[in-house]
Amino acid sequence: MNMLSLQHFPIYSVMVLFLGAFLVVIFGRNKVLRHSIALLATCASMLFMMALIKPVMLDGEIIAYWMGSRVPAGGYAIGIAMEVDAMSLFFGVLISTAVFVACIYSIQYMSHDDNVPQYYTLFLMLAGGVMGMVLTGDLFNMFIMVEILTFAAVALTAFRNTVTGALEAAFKYLVVGSIGSTCILAGTIVLYAQMHTLNLAQLSALIPDHFTTATKLAFALLYIGFSTKAFLVPFHPLAADAHGAAPASISLIISGVLTKCGIYGIIRLTYFLFQSMNLGTTQFLLVFVGSVSMFVCVTMALAQHDFKRLLAFHSISQIGYVLTAVGLSTALGLSAGVYHAMNHTIFKGLLFLAAGAVLHETGTTDLGKLGGLSKKMPHTTVLFLIGAAAISGIPPFNGFASKWMIYQATYQKAVESGNIGFLLVTIVALVTSTLTLASFVKVTQSVFFGQLPKELEHVKEVPFGMRFAMGILAFLCIATGLFPEQVTRYLTEPAATAVFHVGAYINAAMGSGYAESAMLNPPLAAEPAFIESGIWSPVSWLCLLMIALLAITVVALSGKYDKVSLGDVSDTKYQLFYGGEANFASLVGSDDMFWGFKYNWRHYFSFMHELHSGVVNDYALWAVVALALAILYAFIVM
Amino acid sequence: MTLILEALRYLVYVLIFPGFLFCFLTGLLLCGIDRKLVARMQKRVGPPILQPFYDFFKLCGKETIIPAAASKTTFLLAPLVGLAALVVIQLFIPVFRFSAFSNVADIIVILYLLLIPALSVILGGAASGSPYAGVGLSREMVTILSCELPLVLVLLAVAKTVGQALGLGLCFSLTKIVEYQMEYGSLILKLSMLPAAAAFLLIIPGETGSHPFDAAEAETEICEGPLAEYSGAPLGVYKLSHAIKILTMTSLFVALFFGGVGRGLENLVMMLGVSGGLAGALIFLLEILVLFLFCVVLTFLCISVVHAVTARLRIEQLFKYYWTVVTGLALISLVLAWYGL
Amino acid sequence: MFKKLIKESTGKSPWLFHINAGSCNGCDIELVSVLTPRYDAERLGFQLTGSPRHADIVVVTGPVTAQSLDRVLRTISQVPEPRCIVTMGSCPQSGNVFRGSYAIAGPLSKYVHVDVDVAGCTPKPEAVIDGLVLATKILEEKRGQMK
Repeated sequence: MNMLSLQHFPIYSVMVLFLGAFLVVIFGRNKVLRHSIALLATCASMLFMMALIKPVMLDGEIIAYWMGSRVPAGGYAIGIAMEVDAMSLFFGVLISTAVFVACIYSIQYMSHDDNVPQYYTLFLMLAGGVMGMVLTGDLFNMFIMVEILTFAAVALTAFRNTVTGALEAAFKYLVVGSIGSTCILAGTIVLYAQMHTLNLAQLSALIPDHFTTATKLAFALLYIGFSTKAFLVPFHPLAADAHGAAPASISLIISGVLTKCGIYGIIRLTYFLFQSMNLGTTQFLLVFVGSVSMFVCVTMALAQHDFKRLLAFHSISQIGYVLTAVGLSTALGLSAGVYHAMNHTIFKGLLFLAAGAVLHETGTTDLGKLGGLSKKMPHTTVLFLIGAAAISGIPPFNGFASKWMIYQATYQKAVESGNIGFLLVTIVALVTSTLTLASFVKVTQSVFFGQLPKELEHVKEVPFGMRFAMGILAFLCIATGLFPEQVTRYLTEPAATAVFHVGAYINAAMGSGYAESAMLNPPLAAEPAFIESGIWSPVSWLCLLMIALLAITVVALSGKYDKVSLGDVSDTKYQLFYGGEANFASLVGSDDMFWGFKYNWRHYFSFMHELHSGVVNDYALWAVVALALAILYAFIVM
Repeated sequence: MTLILEALRYLVYVLIFPGFLFCFLTGLLLCGIDRKLVARMQKRVGPPILQPFYDFFKLCGKETIIPAAASKTTFLLAPLVGLAALVVIQLFIPVFRFSAFSNVADIIVILYLLLIPALSVILGGAASGSPYAGVGLSREMVTILSCELPLVLVLLAVAKTVGQALGLGLCFSLTKIVEYQMEYGSLILKLSMLPAAAAFLLIIPGETGSHPFDAAEAETEICEGPLAEYSGAPLGVYKLSHAIKILTMTSLFVALFFGGVGRGLENLVMMLGVSGGLAGALIFLLEILVLFLFCVVLTFLCISVVHAVTARLRIEQLFKYYWTVVTGLALISLVLAWYGL
Repeated sequence: MFKKLIKESTGKSPWLFHINAGSCNGCDIELVSVLTPRYDAERLGFQLTGSPRHADIVVVTGPVTAQSLDRVLRTISQVPEPRCIVTMGSCPQSGNVFRGSYAIAGPLSKYVHVDVDVAGCTPKPEAVIDGLVLATKILEEKRGQMK
């Protein structure tokens, strides 16, 4: 396929989703038609993105597509552009795959709901908005897409409006999400007023040389806008509410995809538009917010007793990892960050789908009411355990591979810069990982193991379609964990390299030589070095483990491992013996699971409890305060 | 031909030394020595040194009861995975100059791999469906949390010290850490590493779940916690894992802080005037012997003495102890290492 | 080879589980004294376990009150084979001074096979150790009979 037809692929992959949304409105009454439209649209979108992997990721092409062929004239980008470099494509592939899996899952998951056509319309709108946002090359277009995805997400949060709290969650999301969107719009306006252009490439060329107070304001506004979309601290309570109420397939999108948009926006903002990542202050901002998100949200998750709310807080905690790694501004850090972003989409998607499966069968996600489901839903349990092991960073699953890279990146940064703060970040990241494990132990114990409550005895395994969707993600969890070298070589390192080739990004859109002529210090296209200081070969490890496991099993079996018994049960005296076991309810409520830990941190937890009041006014206030702080930070420090 | 030989070599590593058989014998022996030492300290005669072997084989011959509330597969598979993971970790810990697999995992990976045996106890306990196991596994998790922070700090301090000395910035490879010590003397001789070594000594009883940090398996209050429902061979596997964990933690300590002793052994053999293949074999045997002696001494110091003189801590006391005293020690070391002292 | 090893080990590593079936606490204290430094039953491999699932020998003290009967039997049924049941003191054997009381469901041998009886109110630690050693021999025998 030649380059010319490939150029159209980004716009196809966005349009096909929107087209699908409109077709579902028209033909949505027919069940088969509705599902085939949704599946076809998401699958086509994914395939379009996959087709671009070779030219963009491996050959390093950057696709610039001008709508209506309005190419830049006179050094100004008038038309609207789609611009796809390796970073955009990385997120594009990630998002389209997640959307496709969510669509497969939805078919059976949503079968009991009313108004399913509307669901698919909104779902495809959301997907289209997300895809558009990461592929676009225009700041205002980005804002439009953010608006589309925010409103689609709000509507989908409230989709099951009979569920307690759904409307409230949607309202909170609407209020704070709008504040975020408004910030993006305001930032865009300020930049347009200053630079007279909205094209990302041209802005990237112009801003670094015109770094004024106004652009600093724009930076703060855009930063807050995108961090609302990523639900970073202090916007994390929204995520919990939204995830708790939304259908699981939408939780997958909100957690696995929407937050990635925020991260993508922040990467574009800091590395491309402002090219300010060489500044210690920007690094500090991102790493600080990332570490705080990481730690605060994992402790919040420990205190949750609702399956999906718990997952929601973890999702922000993992986004904290991503932001921290990205904020290091090293090649390894970026590679690790986007790797973790990918892994997060996979394993958190899997976990949300597992939570959805539990909800689908039992009708509740309250940890206190569940238990012992492993006997009723064995496949879901195994799939959940894979996801839980991955998010807790248990080798050899994918979470470990990326977290391990993040630890190295932070520690290398600490050693190179001599800044003891980064060392603290490494420690926080390591401890957070263990806390993540702790809270998943809690979920495992209180949902899948332990005693089965009487009410849940009728529970069945979920339909095949849902298990299939989960199976895809579980497979990806294992595959990307076992072959980290291939993943980094073909996916994350090209994406990270693209970030260091800002000049090429500008030139691809504005014509070659533009960056050199327009900028005082054109960014050097240095080849980043991905130096790892650790050793980890998961395949060899797994082989060793398997051999050891096999050997032990053989020895165990030869040593009468199997069940043995005396066999004189016919003895009358023993009849009374086989009275069986009495069932006792679990002594440990899910709230008190880690009492020893929580007791020592009780002041912290009670402080957090008071802080997270659940009142939307408070959260709006937090948003405003965060904005004020960001502006002050930009004005005073940067 | 070479491929077969190579495969055979790796098989010997996994199954005999330093893999399964070595772990099995040494681990249980250490456990027996520990029990004997505790008994002697309490003025008892104590069990025979081979008692853990008897216990293990007896458990293999017992009936395996699977409780009605348990999920069978997880219940039976969890102990095996934990044991296999421990054996594999032992493969990555170099015995002075000898290391079976040097380019598979580094210390951060080992830190995570050490979670798997603990996790297998937790999963097995959860799968057994017993309320006692529920209490026990929650305590087990808090114990892991408590030990994790100081352990991370100790490992980072070592990585920094060695990395700085080798000019790499930081060094996560355990083999390199041992080689460095062979060249420049054991890390324990460094002033900055002393607090880290002390912290690690305190971590050993916590990680292995021995007195006074055995709140998770408190047999007098919660019926051995996660193991409450286990019987027969799976229980034996857990007891074996516990024994091997003592070996793993003590030999990790030797690798991290006493790596330089290997150099002394080499010099000793040189002085005896032996050379060629015989010298290599002699050094190898001596190394194993010395490692074992070190493990015995460390078991005595960290497990037996502590067991004999203390009473069990409550779980929140345990957590507090690790996150204040032990973390403090490790932190001192890390800060000293950071400023190159 | 394994079978022989297992059989021999069974006699050398008997783990005890102690059930108090309404005992006056005399025998309980005496059982504990068996494990203390003076008598040190651990030199023979005896060890107190916390869970019946781990035990080889169940030591029952007390006259098996009506309240405790169900629990005693259920607990004993949780002990994996091969197992040995040892009654300690006169109460579980005959009811002792409580014999004839409406609250007593004993003796224990009405409900289960008792392998060893250690008589006395309370038996001396030496007698208890003797009984337990006898129980280990029975254990070994039982293990030998298993397939």
